[in-house]
Amino acid sequence: MASGFSFAGCPMNPMPLLALALAATLPLTGCKIIKTAPAGGETSATTDEARMAALVADSYVPKLIPHVAAAATDVVPLRAAIAGGLDAAGAKLGLRGAGGGGPWNFAVKGAGVVVTSDRASRAAKLGLDTDADGVADVQVQLGPVIKGTALRDVAPFYVFTDFRDQIEFAKLARALNDAAGAAIVLPEGDLLGKTVAFEGAFAILSAKDALLIVPTALTALP
Amino acid sequence: MNIKRRLLLSVVALGLALPAMASAEGTIAIITPSHDNPFFKAEADGAAAKAKELGYETLVLVHDDDANKQSELFDTAIAAGVKAIILDNAGADASVAAVQKAKDAGIPSFLIDREITQSGVAVSQIVSNNYQGAQLGAEEFVRLMGETGEYAELVGKESDTNAGIRSSGYADVISQYPELKSVARQSANWSQTEAYTVMETMLQANPGIKGVISGNDTMAMGAWAALEAAGRTDVIVVGFDGSNDVRDSIAKGGIKATVLQPAYAQAQMAVMQADTFLKTGSTGVEEKQLMDCVLVNADNAAKLETFALAE
Repeated sequence: MASGFSFAGCPMNPMPLLALALAATLPLTGCKIIKTAPAGGETSATTDEARMAALVADSYVPKLIPHVAAAATDVVPLRAAIAGGLDAAGAKLGLRGAGGGGPWNFAVKGAGVVVTSDRASRAAKLGLDTDADGVADVQVQLGPVIKGTALRDVAPFYVFTDFRDQIEFAKLARALNDAAGAAIVLPEGDLLGKTVAFEGAFAILSAKDALLIVPTALTALP
Repeated sequence: MNIKRRLLLSVVALGLALPAMASAEGTIAIITPSHDNPFFKAEADGAAAKAKELGYETLVLVHDDDANKQSELFDTAIAAGVKAIILDNAGADASVAAVQKAKDAGIPSFLIDREITQSGVAVSQIVSNNYQGAQLGAEEFVRLMGETGEYAELVGKESDTNAGIRSSGYADVISQYPELKSVARQSANWSQTEAYTVMETMLQANPGIKGVISGNDTMAMGAWAALEAAGRTDVIVVGFDGSNDVRDSIAKGGIKATVLQPAYAQAQMAVMQADTFLKTGSTGVEEKQLMDCVLVNADNAAKLETFALAE
């Protein structure tokens, strides 16, 4: 994820194609964010929300969903790896996001039986039992309020240095969560006893943290 | 030694101590806002402790959030021939020139806490994620409020970027809950005494207030004192910073939560990156790094001491 850095020069982007794709939607030139007019004579008067929504429109379906699908570890071995040591599991299977010392972000997939259900809260969640012990091992966020920055930070192609500041970068996370929430289609009701298959991402600071998944794919199995 | 005399003079003028022994690794300058705020003191202490551990001398300076003074301090540090500068800057736009000046003199800067508006000037920017921290505090606030009810917000000093960032982070979360109604929103300028007065007024105008979310801990302490005086200890108060005062209030069942910015750890990380950069020519990480904040409530308040959580 981290590109090399030399004091005199600019960080080289390891993914030129991606940089090109990002440059189409962001005012990026080389290694610096320029706050004023982007190339192509577009006006820079758009809001952070509008620019991040455009970036998400260009990257969520074509890049992020496939990235999560490709990078996802099955939830049962992933939980075992985390229990064996978060830093080792993170280094092997996760990403640290934009900072050292922050949470580890993991892409995850699996299926589980719904054993807890809160669809009344605006931050609705399903608790899934993925190892048949009757206890919820993961919480899948259903929105409309989806928390955290796991979707942004699980992707190596969203790099904080490329963004103006923490606010713009936070709006990206929010726009990704909104895209994930808007894509969720589930039958009504508490779904208790149903099996639900998922792909998504979560972030944890310690091995004891609950796994709060933002789903990029979610299906109630018949 | 001309440079040494200048350095000594400026340090003495600032009332700070300069280590007597020259060190093999050279000197690291540590420039922050005033240590009157314990947050910035923790930052400077963290950086100095790590620098000494790694064999550097330190030159500890304060700019009092004055960009002109900061520019002079950079001149001092450059003249002193420091190897690197650790900086909590005095303005996102105004600080770019000072950091560039050091870079032109061959001295790398490592920024902590606040970011500047350009990348490619500093080697590292380790940014306190105030927006994420505010979202965390707001999520806890929403949970404590049961997603419903009237609330008030105390905003920080408007000239300070972080006041706006925190308020936006609060709004980002709370606005997603239509049953939460904002009945008052006012600046108390980070001040405990101002917050006391503002809270009294807010309470008189809006006796139905169920919660108060505050841009920092000192204002939360002021609000809590006013609520106690009015016999309204049922009101939910959430702060921001992770100060020892709010920790003690949480332990007594007063204020419900705050958000810790890991000032000490962040400063230490900057010094480690400076050391790696000086020895290898690269930090090995991206320039801009976000340091997440951590929620502090009754579950973990006992582990909090001087802006650091024990493992």
